[in-house]
Amino acid sequence: MSFVPPPPQEQAARKAIWVLLGLTGAFLILAAAMLAKPWAQPVARRPIPLVDPAFLEQTPWRKSYADLVRGKEDLSDFECYVCHEKKNPPPLRFDAQQTLIVPDEHSDIKMGHGSHNRNNLCFNCHNETNLLTFSTRDGNELKFSDSSRLCGSCHGPNYRDWEAGVHGRMNGYWNHQLGEFRRLDCVNCHNPHAPRIPTRQPAPPPHSLRESPEEETPAPHAATP
Amino acid sequence: MPLPEDSSAAEPGSLERLMSRRNFLRSSAAFAGLGALAASLSPLRELGEFSSVDEFMQKYYKEMTPEDMARVIKRIEGDVQRQYGIRPHVRDLKPMDGVEFVYCLNLTRCIGCRKCVHACVAENNQSRNPEIQYIRVLRLPHGSMDLEKAEHNYNPAAVPEKGYFYMPVQCQQCHNPPCVKVCPVHATWQEKDGITVIDYDWCIGCRYCEAACPYWARRFNFTKPEIPKERLNPNMAYLGNRPRKQGVMEKCHFCIQRTRAGRYPACLEVCPVGARKFGNILDPDSEVSYILREKRVFIQLKEEMGTNPRFFYYFEK
Repeated sequence: MSFVPPPPQEQAARKAIWVLLGLTGAFLILAAAMLAKPWAQPVARRPIPLVDPAFLEQTPWRKSYADLVRGKEDLSDFECYVCHEKKNPPPLRFDAQQTLIVPDEHSDIKMGHGSHNRNNLCFNCHNETNLLTFSTRDGNELKFSDSSRLCGSCHGPNYRDWEAGVHGRMNGYWNHQLGEFRRLDCVNCHNPHAPRIPTRQPAPPPHSLRESPEEETPAPHAATP
Repeated sequence: MPLPEDSSAAEPGSLERLMSRRNFLRSSAAFAGLGALAASLSPLRELGEFSSVDEFMQKYYKEMTPEDMARVIKRIEGDVQRQYGIRPHVRDLKPMDGVEFVYCLNLTRCIGCRKCVHACVAENNQSRNPEIQYIRVLRLPHGSMDLEKAEHNYNPAAVPEKGYFYMPVQCQQCHNPPCVKVCPVHATWQEKDGITVIDYDWCIGCRYCEAACPYWARRFNFTKPEIPKERLNPNMAYLGNRPRKQGVMEKCHFCIQRTRAGRYPACLEVCPVGARKFGNILDPDSEVSYILREKRVFIQLKEEMGTNPRFFYYFEK
């Protein structure tokens, strides 16, 4: 069997077909690549944990006496005459530095009212003759549920602001014709025995779009709004 | 190279004829061209379920009749339900007569706890990843109002920290808003009650407004917003917190879905120290009127820009 070379014309035609088939293949691969975009896949975003719902909570961190009554909760803490005797007011005891000694029965109370702890006498606010009420500086009796007015008897400007809705938070409707609004009581935010609001954990800071945490160190001008 | 012309001419209908170089190049070029076209259109696939013919044909907000709006709201409700499985309550709330909103923020009281930031995100259906937040809380050292010294990534164990005060910044709802002036398609405008709003269906995403705003109050949706179904707020407004799509701007709108129904904004209702105050400045008995009358209202932020914000920062006496 001897090899007979095809005529030169046929040879050229075959060559052309192979070249053209190769080109088709190349174009198809290119088209597929353009659709799949293997070189430009979006960078996977770092997961961001959802914020703790505690940070979305609107309930104030303390409950006032009025709240407890409204919620029909346990009021046994306010039944003073279970332990104390009527007509026999509890004596106040002081240590060598003239600071009040809080008896063990009231160990949950930490005194810290006023700068240098100056407002440290129980009967500055509680009524000595009737422990179920408060007494204002001018000698009026006030119910437990009316505690904000007691605070106002000393803190006049803040009380005025509070009445105008400017000190402390309001909830509900700014437009009083359209719905109810609720003004918080002083003791919803301030512990009357130590009124300074305690520090708290802040909610998480904003997460950067950048990939690596090292890049997140703030640039000097990063925070300018 | 000799061309195979002769053979194709000699044998009509042969393989060489069908696969002549010219035909072949033509068809493969057409093929590649189609492929390239499909590839160039492929970003449309990522736009997702939100684009529809109805949306494309929708009229400009101010030209819509109530019937048009009812139809649009129905479409939005359907879209949201399809996407999140929750039937929302979308409203188009109009500004009230005799009402101009003003916000006051007490810098003495703010403790920088960022609860407002996250309450806002929850109320206004902002994207959780990438994060979009309308409020940025700045921490500034005492004795300075220099924003160059501000820090917003602070994350101590407890706030407030000694030696610092905190200044939350959000849309200032300017009387003279630069963002509105630069919008080439009038997709953002100032309403009668002072709120600068955005029509998310009209926004083209050019981000001019973001560049124009001196307070960095505007945010851009680079991706489709990611909102977990269980955290979607179904109380929505057309100009407010309805879910946005990829490629549009958004910003604080004083919780339009709440405030135009008479309620306080979400950031205010969550503030643990009552530093945020909101109300109608045209009502002399409102809290904000009282503050502007009685308090040391210290600044409108970047007063020198001439934007005349409706957002006031004040200090206690």
